[in-house]
Amino acid sequence: MKANKTKIWSAAIAVTLTYTGVAYADGHTADVYAPYEGTTLVVNFPAHPHYNAVLEVLPEFTEQTGIEVEVDQLQYLKMRERQTLELTKDEGDYDLISYVVFSKADYVYADQLENLAKYFMNPRLADPNYDAGDLIDGYVANIGVAGGEKGYLPGPTGSLFGIPFGSETSVLAYRKDIFEKHGIDVPTNYNQLLEVACQIPELEPGMGGMASRAASGHQASHAFLLHLAPLGGRVFDSEWNPIINSPEGVAAANALKTIVDCGPEGGTTFGPAEAAASFQQGTSAMFMDSIAFAAGFEDPSKSTVVGKVGYALHPEGVRRGSQTGGFGIGIPSNAQNKEAAFLLMQWLTSKEQDLAIAMAGGNPSRFSTYEDAGLNEKYPYSATFGEALKYADPDWRPIIPTWGTINADIGTTMSQVLTEGLDPQEALDGVAERARAVMDEAGYYTWQ
Amino acid sequence: MSIASTNRMTPYLFLAPAGLVLAFALFYPICYMIYASFLDWNPSQRIGEAEFVGLRNYFKLFGDDAFRESMGVTLKFAAVVVTIEMFLGVGLALLLDRNIRGMSVLRTLFILPMMIAPIVVGLMWRYMYHPTVGIFNKTLKSWGFDGIPWLSDGSWAFASVVIADVWQWTPFIFILSLAALQSLPASAIEASKIDGASDWQQIIYIKLPLMLPVLIVTLLLRLIDSFKVLEVILVMTNGGPGLSTEILSLRINRTASEFRELGEAAAMSNLLLIVLLILTFTMFIYNKAQDARAARLRAVEEEA
Repeated sequence: MKANKTKIWSAAIAVTLTYTGVAYADGHTADVYAPYEGTTLVVNFPAHPHYNAVLEVLPEFTEQTGIEVEVDQLQYLKMRERQTLELTKDEGDYDLISYVVFSKADYVYADQLENLAKYFMNPRLADPNYDAGDLIDGYVANIGVAGGEKGYLPGPTGSLFGIPFGSETSVLAYRKDIFEKHGIDVPTNYNQLLEVACQIPELEPGMGGMASRAASGHQASHAFLLHLAPLGGRVFDSEWNPIINSPEGVAAANALKTIVDCGPEGGTTFGPAEAAASFQQGTSAMFMDSIAFAAGFEDPSKSTVVGKVGYALHPEGVRRGSQTGGFGIGIPSNAQNKEAAFLLMQWLTSKEQDLAIAMAGGNPSRFSTYEDAGLNEKYPYSATFGEALKYADPDWRPIIPTWGTINADIGTTMSQVLTEGLDPQEALDGVAERARAVMDEAGYYTWQ
Repeated sequence: MSIASTNRMTPYLFLAPAGLVLAFALFYPICYMIYASFLDWNPSQRIGEAEFVGLRNYFKLFGDDAFRESMGVTLKFAAVVVTIEMFLGVGLALLLDRNIRGMSVLRTLFILPMMIAPIVVGLMWRYMYHPTVGIFNKTLKSWGFDGIPWLSDGSWAFASVVIADVWQWTPFIFILSLAALQSLPASAIEASKIDGASDWQQIIYIKLPLMLPVLIVTLLLRLIDSFKVLEVILVMTNGGPGLSTEILSLRINRTASEFRELGEAAAMSNLLLIVLLILTFTMFIYNKAQDARAARLRAVEEEA
């Protein structure tokens, strides 16, 4: 009798093991997800092309795992406001949030995001085939890690709080037809870029050289910082002294002024959407901004330049440095289903799903996705973007709690340089002085 | 409890619900805001976790060039906008105060701008001011003139937001002035006609003085509103170029959401509230003085 029982048990175990084996081979790891079957996860995503693509693959997750996902999609600045409220509650409604890169500092500092170490250490949760080394390192450094160098970058003391998802870098989009017509070479460094930018309006009357963000506030600051890193400048040195008024800073301001002056008419009020629209409508010959706009340029319902756009790396100044930005996903400390949220996060950023989302029009987070032949066939610019990401600079702007104030100041001052003829050196000296006061008040010079 | 004291309590009992509503709906939020202005409060903290810093937020504001500039822009904007709107609104009302066929239709048409959501007004004007495809520059160019940098030059941007606000809010003054004009006593106007007053004299000596109480209330309402305008400017210029159109409510908005300084934003709101209170009291005292003067004149007449 006893022997029989043992036999039955071993048979049952054998069946289970076989089943598990089959499941793994299929990519269906049902028993990993079994404890969470029937759970409903509430996630907060921005309204953004990447996340629209995510919505297309999400039903597959529920099918594979039995975990339901409810998505709360908001405009990205609204999303941050909502999260600010949600994250201070004792029990939050969100299990997984997408956050804008500059929220990393605020959320991590206020202890509102889960440190992901305990999940990646948990053998029941962490997928051994995840291949974290394939994640684009510039993005991980910029969006995912905090606590290392300067507090907001990786380093010996850093740890992971989020995974890049819907992240972006900068590339140079240019009109192949215009460049060919006038025999212009694609600029590879800043001197050539500025020269071409001012050459275009002479060769093609009515067309601006390069469309750039320039509106007062965040947009002008973004545009300035985009040139500051490749031209060799930084906002702060390693001891938080403002060095934005260095010769490199002045060069970046002058570069921006040249670009805007030679750009399309009314360019000083452009945000990213207006700048992209100008390029899309054929009123400017170049556009250097996030890769997220590329899909729009190839959309015949919006764009008059379909098939005429070429892409090149962000030109080199004294170094290569394309921007890093966009979104990451993390688990709020007050989430109610953290383990299931981790499983969703891991699933969304896995190799298979990263590729599936990219095919649906999202921004890849992995190098392997950019190298995929199928993706390159569908989106021919993918290889260039993958190349650009090797030079993505995670430190092109500081991610610290005081950044909002300093960023706004850079933006309004830069707008005065562009529209009121304020001298760049004088403007940046003012920014540096005010930034020092802000940093002093926040305690950055306590140890000096 | 005696019947007498119960009787004395009765009115307060009836007042109590209104008093409670007032306390919760009005005083609680204002006290909350005043308390918040003494805190170093970041939106990631609960109010209880915020550090009490006394008057530091206020001192910081007075030393802040950007805040002073934005206060200046607000005062300039309110003064310019309200003056233009008062002249245009009252002028239009005087012109249209007559029996025209279809007056009620016209009146509805005139107040349409007020009824459009501010965000839409902002977007509409932003597209009309567009440097290349906007209607203004297109027209100017088709006549052979140069385009105007409507929103991309500091002084023009200020003028542009003033034009949009005047377009939207002149009808408000128009409609109130028209109502005031139509309720004026016909006898006074007829008497002046018999005495041989010209149209101008009728307006200056009879109509405007009789409309004055209404005009003052209108002016006050517009002034308060123009200090708080946000959406139209937010959409049109977002305060730029530079700080040339950054009015106070926009700065408060940015301080709270962009700079994440709730305490400082509360301090700014309090200062704005104080400015508005001073304005309201001035108007109130002026009205009282006017009433007192009228009463004195009546008394003198009666004695004589």
